[in-house]
Formats: sequence, C-alpha cells, structure tokens
Amino acid sequence: MFENYLKIAIRNLMRNKLFSFINIAGLAVGLAAFILITLFVRDEFSWDSHWTRSSDIYRLENTYTRPGQPDRESPNAVDPLKDIFFDTFREVEDITRYFDAGMTVRNNGELFGQRTLFADANFFDFFSMRFLEGNAANAFATQSNVVISQRTAEKYFAGSSALGEVISVRIGDEFRDFVVSGVVASPKENSIVVHDFILPFNREYFVGARWFTEDWRFAIRQTFVRFAPGTDMSLIRAELPAIVDRHLPKGQDGMETGRDWSMTLSLVPIEGVHLYGNGENGDADVLYGFLAVAVLILLIAVVNFLNLSMARTAHRAREVSMRKVLGANRSQILQQFLGESVLLALVSLMIALALVELALPYYNAFLSSLVQMNLLEDPALLAALLALGIGVGLSAGSMHATYFALLRPRDVLYSNTSPDAGTTRLRAGLVVAQFSISVALMIIAFFVNQQTEYARQLDLGFSADNLIVVSGTNGSQSETFKQRLLASPFVEAVGRSSDVPTEGSEDRLHIRPLDGGEPVMLDGLPTGPDFFSVYRIPLLAGRYLTDAEADILRKREENASYRPDANIVINAMAAKLLGFETPDAAVGQIMPTDLSSTLRVNATIVGVVEDFHFDSARDVIRPGIYYIDQMRQSDMTVRINGGNRDAAINSVEQAWRETFPDTLLSYRVMEDMVEQQYQSEARLSDVLLMFTILAVTISCMGLYGLASFTAERRTKEIGIRKVLGARLGDILKLLLWQFSKPILLANLLAWPAAFYFLNDWLNGFAYRIELDLLPFASIGAAALAIGWMTVIGHAYLVARANPIKALRHE
Amino acid sequence: MLKLHNLSKVYRTDEVETAALNSVNIEIESGEFVAIMGPSGCGKSTLLNIIGMLDSPSSGDYIFMGENVAPYGEAKLSNIRKQHIGFIFQSFNLIDELSVEENIELALLYHNIPASERRERVAHVMDKVGIAHRAKHMPSQLSGGQQQRVAVARAVVGDQAMILADEPTGNLDSAHGQEVMEMLQSLNEEGTTIVMVTHSPAHADYARRTINLFDGHVVTENLRAAV
Repeated sequence: MFENYLKIAIRNLMRNKLFSFINIAGLAVGLAAFILITLFVRDEFSWDSHWTRSSDIYRLENTYTRPGQPDRESPNAVDPLKDIFFDTFREVEDITRYFDAGMTVRNNGELFGQRTLFADANFFDFFSMRFLEGNAANAFATQSNVVISQRTAEKYFAGSSALGEVISVRIGDEFRDFVVSGVVASPKENSIVVHDFILPFNREYFVGARWFTEDWRFAIRQTFVRFAPGTDMSLIRAELPAIVDRHLPKGQDGMETGRDWSMTLSLVPIEGVHLYGNGENGDADVLYGFLAVAVLILLIAVVNFLNLSMARTAHRAREVSMRKVLGANRSQILQQFLGESVLLALVSLMIALALVELALPYYNAFLSSLVQMNLLEDPALLAALLALGIGVGLSAGSMHATYFALLRPRDVLYSNTSPDAGTTRLRAGLVVAQFSISVALMIIAFFVNQQTEYARQLDLGFSADNLIVVSGTNGSQSETFKQRLLASPFVEAVGRSSDVPTEGSEDRLHIRPLDGGEPVMLDGLPTGPDFFSVYRIPLLAGRYLTDAEADILRKREENASYRPDANIVINAMAAKLLGFETPDAAVGQIMPTDLSSTLRVNATIVGVVEDFHFDSARDVIRPGIYYIDQMRQSDMTVRINGGNRDAAINSVEQAWRETFPDTLLSYRVMEDMVEQQYQSEARLSDVLLMFTILAVTISCMGLYGLASFTAERRTKEIGIRKVLGARLGDILKLLLWQFSKPILLANLLAWPAAFYFLNDWLNGFAYRIELDLLPFASIGAAALAIGWMTVIGHAYLVARANPIKALRHE
Repeated sequence: MLKLHNLSKVYRTDEVETAALNSVNIEIESGEFVAIMGPSGCGKSTLLNIIGMLDSPSSGDYIFMGENVAPYGEAKLSNIRKQHIGFIFQSFNLIDELSVEENIELALLYHNIPASERRERVAHVMDKVGIAHRAKHMPSQLSGGQQQRVAVARAVVGDQAMILADEPTGNLDSAHGQEVMEMLQSLNEEGTTIVMVTHSPAHADYARRTINLFDGHVVTENLRAAV
C-alpha cells in the first residue's frame, strides 16, 4: 500500500515538474528562513542556561530613582545587600559577587588590556566550570592567585602549561604579581559571566575609593543569589521594597543619602539577564519581532503549498474517486494525502537544512552572531526540526487531504464539470492571505528602514565624525598629554569633559527662574573650555567658557573647593525653561544654582549654545548647564584630521605612551558610539528587509504556479472568447484582472494592520517619522506590478494561442 | 442478488427539486445480465450509482444480498462495495500515473491481500482479458479498447459477484465495442451478474433482460426471447 502511495506521489511530482519545484522550493526557502531566524532567537534566549542549577540563580540589580528623572539602571548591587539578603531570606543558599573591570596586565614586559573579574572566594563553587589545569578547591588558595581561561592561557603562555606562571596586574599605581593557580574552559559566547581572568577580591586594592563600602550610592559589584529549589520568587520579590525602606540610610543632607533619591531592587533570572537585565544589550521585543516574521514567512510558504495542492485537486480527483470506488475509505484517503505532503515537507526540510548550512556564515556575519546548527550533537534541535517538518506537512496537506476524503466519486466519474469549482474561491482567498502578509511586511520594512535612516540622519546638534574619545585622563599628567596631542599635525583640537555625548549625564542641578517660580532641573555637565569647539556646537548668544579664573568653578588642586560664583553656559532649551524670551536675554543674568542641596553657587550665564543630544538619540534633548570643573575631566575628546585616520590614531597612541607608560590607551570612536545606539533598530531593519524579500519571492512563486495552472484551465474559455471576437488585449486584461483582484484585496487588509503596528512602534521614539499614505499606495502598486510581472508570461502565451487548438484541447 | 423497492431519488438545489428516480421497483437475480436503456436524463446513471452504492436513495429500500443497505453510511457501503461490486466506466477512469498492472492491482490494495497473491491474481486476470503483453505500459500508451479491457480486468480482479458497466462501449469504435461486449458476456457465463447502461440496442441484445427507463420510471422490462 505504502509502496503504491509512494509510487503515485513520485510520479505525480515528476509529471508536474513546475508545480513540484515551486511547491518544494517554496517550502524549503520558507523553512530555511524560519530555521535561521529561530536558531538566532533560540541562541539569544539560551544565555547562561549552562550553569549548574541555573534556574535557581538570580542577579540582584539596583535601579536608582529620582523624581522627575530617568531611572539609572545598574547591573550591580550595593555591598550591604549581601548580608541583608542572608538575614532576611531563609531561602538564600548562597551569594557570590564580582567586580568586572578592565585592567592593565604586564607579561614579559609587554602591556595588555585585560577584562578582569575580582571575585568572591566562593565564585568557583557558585559557578561550576571545568578546570583544565588546577582545581576549584585550590583556585584561590592565596590572595595572589589568578585563574585564567583557556583562551587567556593561549594569549599569554601559548604552547606551554600556564599553571604556576606569574603575571602582573596594575592595581592602583603599582604592578602586583599573581600566580596562575588554574586554567578553566573558555567562557561560552552566550554568557554574561566573562571569566577570562579571575582574581580573588581584595578590599585593600580599593582603599581610598568610596566603593566597596557601606555606601549605598555605589553599586559596583555584580551580585548573584542562589535560592533553594522551589522558592516562591513572587514572595521574595514582594519583600524587596521593604528591604530598601528598612535599610537605605536616610540622612539630613539630601543628595548624600536616600532622601532625594531612592532605589528599587530586582532579581533577574540569570538565564534572562542578557535580555532583561540592566545594562545588557539583548532586546526581547526585537526577538519577538523576529519570531513573528519567521512565523509569517512559514505561514506564507505553507499557504503556498496549500494553494498549489488545491489547484491540483482536479488533476487527482479521478484517482481518488477510483480509489474510493475500489473500496478506499476516508481515513485511507486522508492518510495517503497527509502522508504525501509530510513526505514533501520532509524533502523540503532536507533542502532547507542544506540552505541553512550554506547561509549560516553569511547570516552570522550579517547579524554579528555566532549561531550554529549541530544536528548530531543537539538531539533536541533534531527532534524539533523533525516535528516542524511533520507539522508543516500535516497542516500544508490538511486542506486537500480533507477535500479528497470528502470527495464523492460519482461527482467526478460521471460528470463533465470540473470537480474543483468549489475551490476556486478558496484558492483566491489563500492568495489574498499570502499577499496581505507580504504587503504588510513590505510596508513595515519600508517604514522601519525610513525611521532608522531618519534617526541616523537626525541632527545630533554636534558633529560626530573624526572624534576619538580617550578615557582615564583625570590624572595630573593630563595637561601634558593634551599638549602632546595638540603638537601632532593630525590632531585638530582637544576638548575635555566628565562624560561625552551618547552617555548621558548624571548631574542634576536646580535653578530658580527669574520670575521666582519653582526651581527647574537642568542636566549638568562638567566640561573644559574647549568642549564646545571640539564638538562644533554653535553659539547662539554670548561667549564660550575660557581658561579665565572666573570661568572655572573648581580648580584641579589639593582640597579643591567650588567658587561661590562662576560663569556658566546653558543650552537654548534651558534658556527657554528659565523664562528668557531669547538667548540674548539670558546672557549676563546671575542665577542662584544648587549643585547639591548644600552647595549653592551664584552662576552667571555668559553664553547660550544650540541644543544638542547628550543622552541617546532615542531620547528627547534635555535642558543642560555646562561649567568647568577641572577635577572632573576624565574624558578627552580628540578631533583628528579625517584625511589620515591611522596616522592620527598612531599619534594619539604615541602621546599616550610618552605620558602614561604604565597603562594602556583606551579610546572609543564617537561615530561608533552613535551608531551603536541604532544597532538594535538597524538590525531589525536589515533582517526585516531581507526576509520581506524572501516572503515576496515565495508569494510570487505561488502566484506563478497558480497562473500557469489557471492558464491551462482557462484555455478552452479563452478559445471561445477569441472565436467570438476577443482580441489579445482583451484577453490579457481579463487574465490580469483575475490576479489583480486578490492583490488589491490583500492591500485593503494589509494597510490597516501595518499602520496599527507601525504607529505603535514609532511611538517608542522621541523623534519619529510620520506615516504618509504615499508609501502605502506605492507599495500596493509595487505589489500589483510584481504580481503582474509574475503572471504576464502565462497570460500572454494563453492569450496568443490559436483558438482552434484550444478548443480541441478537451 | 438485489431488489429495489419503491426507490426514489430527489435532487435538491436552492430552488428546484428534481426527481431523478420515482418509485422504482427492480429485482435482479444472481447471474443475470441486465441492460438499462433510456434517453439522456432518464435516471439511468442515478440508478447505477445507487445500485453501486456511490449514492444513497432519498426513500425506499435497497436490498442487496438479503440486507437493506438504504440507510447505511459511507463506511459500511464502501465495505460492501469493495467486496462485491466492480465498475466499468465509459471514460475508463484509469489512473494516468499507474501502469496497466498497477491499475489493476489498485483494486486489491484495499483488501488486505498479500503482495505475492496480488501479483498472481493480476497476472491471471491480465491473461484472461488478453492484456498481459502490455503489463508495464502506461494508459496513455494504449488504445481505447485496450484501456477498457484493463478497466474490465480491474473490475473483476477482486472476484466481484456483480459488475456495473456505465456505457462501457460509449468511447469505443464498433470492433473494440464488440470485443468488450463479448468479454462481458463470457464473464456472465462464468456466473458474474452484470448490470449495464447502454444507448446501443445492439449491445443491449447481449443482455437477457432490458429495463427501459423514462423520466425516472421503469417503463418496460423485456426478456430476450431466445437465449
């Protein structure tokens, strides 16, 4: 029996090569796209699930809140919380913490930048990892041990055993030696715990820093809590606000303690930290978007399959009827056709897997991801794919299998009318569904792309090209470094500030407007006099700040204090907020300004600059105030000569080596920092574009198959029409109209859906494009044009055929 | 073999009710060869469909081998049909994708017969209708007469007691038509009951009895005088 099914299935495939190709290829491409997207999404959701008891581990995070300001989300937790957690919750089994820092390491006289974890003693108990050399028990036997990963061992001690080797780490102002006590397997790519270089945490290293104390303002260490199995986390979470209430110190001096600000605690499952944790770059919403696209593409491919199978029902109705006459019952017919489409789906799946294998390198490069597909090592994936193939086969075959099971043989065997008259409308409906999805995807891809471009081209208010930001320039040598930079012919200007654009400011200053109303809050930014010229921020009124004594709020010196009066610069938005009609009106005004609740300065506005983005370009521009604080100038922004970028960066490196021989230069490129902010959207936009093209292609394949089928079936009708006097143009019009109707209807469905989705999405942006009707109409027209191009070949052939031949066709 | 008692069939569309068969009473003995004649639209095919259990009557009884099958559902009818009834159609209804022997074998596939026995029976019946030398051919490679012989073979390969033939010679030239008729006659002589719809009086003469239908009624029944 099975042999017979197989035989007839294969012969039918061979007989209708075009149909078979479109059916299998369409489904294969759809499946490949679906698999590629879901592999990526799976990868993103799989982070940190490899730890022993990962489902019981949570990262404790602090979010600082201040009324009227955006929350400051920290991935870390303050130190006192460890003991508080042990005291409060019986369910806490263990807590481990680490301070994640970029350190300078010296090996064989050479300096390296090294990401370092200063970890609690129980780190290796908490996070189980494989030791290639040494063991967990002796890893931190002494305070001068270091555990490194396999790849770190290769970096420093290639070719020989690392165990017992000595490596120096710059801590404070001196290099300390550490002995390698263990080598662990390299960290997984999908893990937030980057354990390449692990030192035992030692409070002595950080004496003088206010971190790692009881101070609740500094959340410095990532803190992981393991709860007893079966702990009801909702009860634990319900307790968290009370913990803050009880333990957060409330002093009298406002800014210094928890009066003006507060904190919320959150426990994020370690498996979800990558996507939901503070300061992590995963974005679950974008992933759900990807997943939706994947499902839609698969749906289009399945609909394609359904549609083409239904188109062929006429062809196989005779076979089915004869089988029924000869005794086949409904379930046997169902089995036959479901089996057939499952078989086809599995064949498509094989092809899809080959396509995925071929596409993966490009796909990974495209998404900068590390997606892999190892079917032999991943039985769960294999099973899931098999289930996918069978599921797709069953759903794709369900419609025509049911149709055949219910078919009454006498309708076919005795009558001359075509048995599929009832399916024409259904098939048109399927084309509508397919094109609705395609058109909606096209519209969404277009506007997402537009929004991304718009955001990229958004005037940031400063010029981001050819800027290099060098961090760690707060020391006494910084002026020397600056002068060395300016001596280079490749450096045009150097500006200083505590933070740089895209990072946002954490200083909030309060100024009472001239009319005596409520104090307004401005974002403060400690800068140097050269900040505005380096960033090319235009002056609207007055002047920029200078090196003049009165322009410097705080000098770089021992026990530096703030001047009681100093000159400041504000932006246009701040001027407006303070009640000045024009920027000029603000210049010369003296404003009592609260740097903190205990520090008031009489600030004179000497200049008003154009508004510029300091936070993410996704946020609105905020009112800002700028002043010179020489103690807070840790970032140096270098405007280089764009003509010779490499030479410019070399000269920055050279100036650094001459000034700071014991530390490594760490710099960032402002253009990259700006681009980084759009990465998530840009990725969504690219993926959407790529898969929209796929979706449209699959839809067109289906339409093409359907057109060839229709052309065949309408040959007789068209012959009669031609005999009755219809001309080539009339026939073409007739056939094109037949395919235009479902596409037009699809537009009608797709537009509101796309509009609703896009409007919602765009509302998440401070600066967004508007949804014009024109792109909707253009894309609708494009879909129609694509549809026409797909079917016109067949239409032309049929329309041109000799009617005599057509009428003999039967 | 079978007995139709007061059997009617009414087709309903949205607005019109058409009586295809109207209180038909027919009895067919085992081993008979019956021809059904009548003008187009008189209900011949409907009658054959009901006898062949491809359709159910609107009212009346259909006693097949002592069992009233009129109220039976599709599954039961399908079972009885595959045991006892073979079909031959005007348009042959061979499956294009299957070879001659595969087409014939199809009739045994739904009977739980082992493959070796299936092959034997197919070979035997192909010999009987003289198509063995074409066993591997596809239907499109055969003449109309050959195709109908394959269809006959398919109808009898399961040892069906009754064959229903719907204008079996309608698509054939006279020589081939006669060939098929002789084949049916010899099957009848071996004991197979044959019910045949035909337009051709000459071919109706092969039957021992002719039932004339008109507008859904049995008008006359004549027995052939000489055997």
